[in-house]
Amino acid sequence: MDELIDKLKKEVIAQLNLEDISVDDINPDAPLFGEGLGLDSIDALELIVLLEKNYGIKIEDPKDGKKIFYSIRTMAEYITAHQTKG
Amino acid sequence: MPKRILVTGSGIISGLGINLQETYTSLSGLHSGVETIRHLDTSLKGEVPASEVRLSNEELADFAGLGGKTGYSRNSLLGIIASREAFIHARLQEHPGLRKGLISGTTVGGMDECEKYYDDFLRNDSKNSYIGIYDCADSTEKIADYLGLKGFMTTISTACSSAANAIMFAARMMKAGKLDCAIAGGTEALTRFHINGFNALKILDKQPCRPFDAQRNGINLGEGAAYLVLETEEANAITGNTVICELTGYGNACEAFHQTASSPEGTGAYLAMKKALDMSGEAPENIDYINAHGTGTDNNDLSEGHAIEKLFTEKIPFVSSTKPFTGHMTSAAGSAEAVISILSLSYNIIWPNLNFSAPMPELSFQPVTELLRNREVNLVMTNSFGFGGNNTSLIFKKYGIH
Repeated sequence: MDELIDKLKKEVIAQLNLEDISVDDINPDAPLFGEGLGLDSIDALELIVLLEKNYGIKIEDPKDGKKIFYSIRTMAEYITAHQTKG
Repeated sequence: MPKRILVTGSGIISGLGINLQETYTSLSGLHSGVETIRHLDTSLKGEVPASEVRLSNEELADFAGLGGKTGYSRNSLLGIIASREAFIHARLQEHPGLRKGLISGTTVGGMDECEKYYDDFLRNDSKNSYIGIYDCADSTEKIADYLGLKGFMTTISTACSSAANAIMFAARMMKAGKLDCAIAGGTEALTRFHINGFNALKILDKQPCRPFDAQRNGINLGEGAAYLVLETEEANAITGNTVICELTGYGNACEAFHQTASSPEGTGAYLAMKKALDMSGEAPENIDYINAHGTGTDNNDLSEGHAIEKLFTEKIPFVSSTKPFTGHMTSAAGSAEAVISILSLSYNIIWPNLNFSAPMPELSFQPVTELLRNREVNLVMTNSFGFGGNNTSLIFKKYGIH
């Protein structure tokens, strides 16, 4: 799980062009939206695309996004449970 | 050189979801928002389906942070939520020096609340405070207040082309040097008045709508709101916002053929698309995808289909109507479909025309019926045609390509 969390942090930084943020700046349990990284809904869209592209995951219920993208850890847990490609 | 109009933010709420991310997820998962009517109190409930925003008025107010406040119609709340998404993304609150306009298309205004209280208006004075929110501009003023906008604002009501005309008008204001940036789009809540109106015209399909199908039998209505943030290059240098795409062309042509019908040969639609294409300086074959007006009525799809054939002749681009996903969002359709077309540009996806099975014998082309990924989508056209023959076409281009 820790390995995936680190990989995911790098991918999120790259996908969202978070230029001033390093892997160490991201607490895996901190909220991604609102406080924490302060992402917005276009960023949420980018995260969906990241899951599709890098992990072959398609989210079935649009309302699930809020839970899945709560933090890096919740994303990693969702990926572990649903991954279709590596 | 005319000023370039850059898109730097977008927001949407519809039957597909309450923000961009949910919208994308529903589209790519082929989940339609068209279902049995739940929220609107209408005798047509259970008889005709529609695409409603899943939240109740109270839930919308809470989502907007306006819980407990009165005087906000469903229409205003939808507009506030979608415009807020676009506004926050483009961080427009951070730039007080820019001249920001708000141009909002709507026909419903506060009608959704006023029709609820009509009997009270006649019989007692308990709901009189709602009379003042009836007109269309009230929803625009509510949005402006919410976002703290104090500059130019106006409301455009040209039926189903309202939101597309709002985007076009914003671009013209910016090119004329009157605005540096704008929030432009439209909002429309379902009401008894307009669902009954479409029902009286006998153009509501009781089944999921089937645009461009030989067996098509009318519209499914939808509700929601969508807005774009537009910036000039000069404003963009100040905001530093990432450019999502560029609005390179727009055209409006009013053919005034009939109160509600388009001419069978699609003269107005052709002229609107041609104007937009000419302005963008592109050859027809460069358009990768047309998000058609495609309502599912006999009249529109034939008329629009012929107009597309006339303009694109040999090489018809990918065409689909996304109204089977969103329902026909009437005055908000133009901006909602602009957002959906921009998603197509951003992620190189062609959205399918759901529910299609039988080609129209009158047309030489068929709509796209499957979701197509990894297509090079650089230039999209989106059509919005309103009653009275008010036809508008917009063209968006990926930014930074030649």
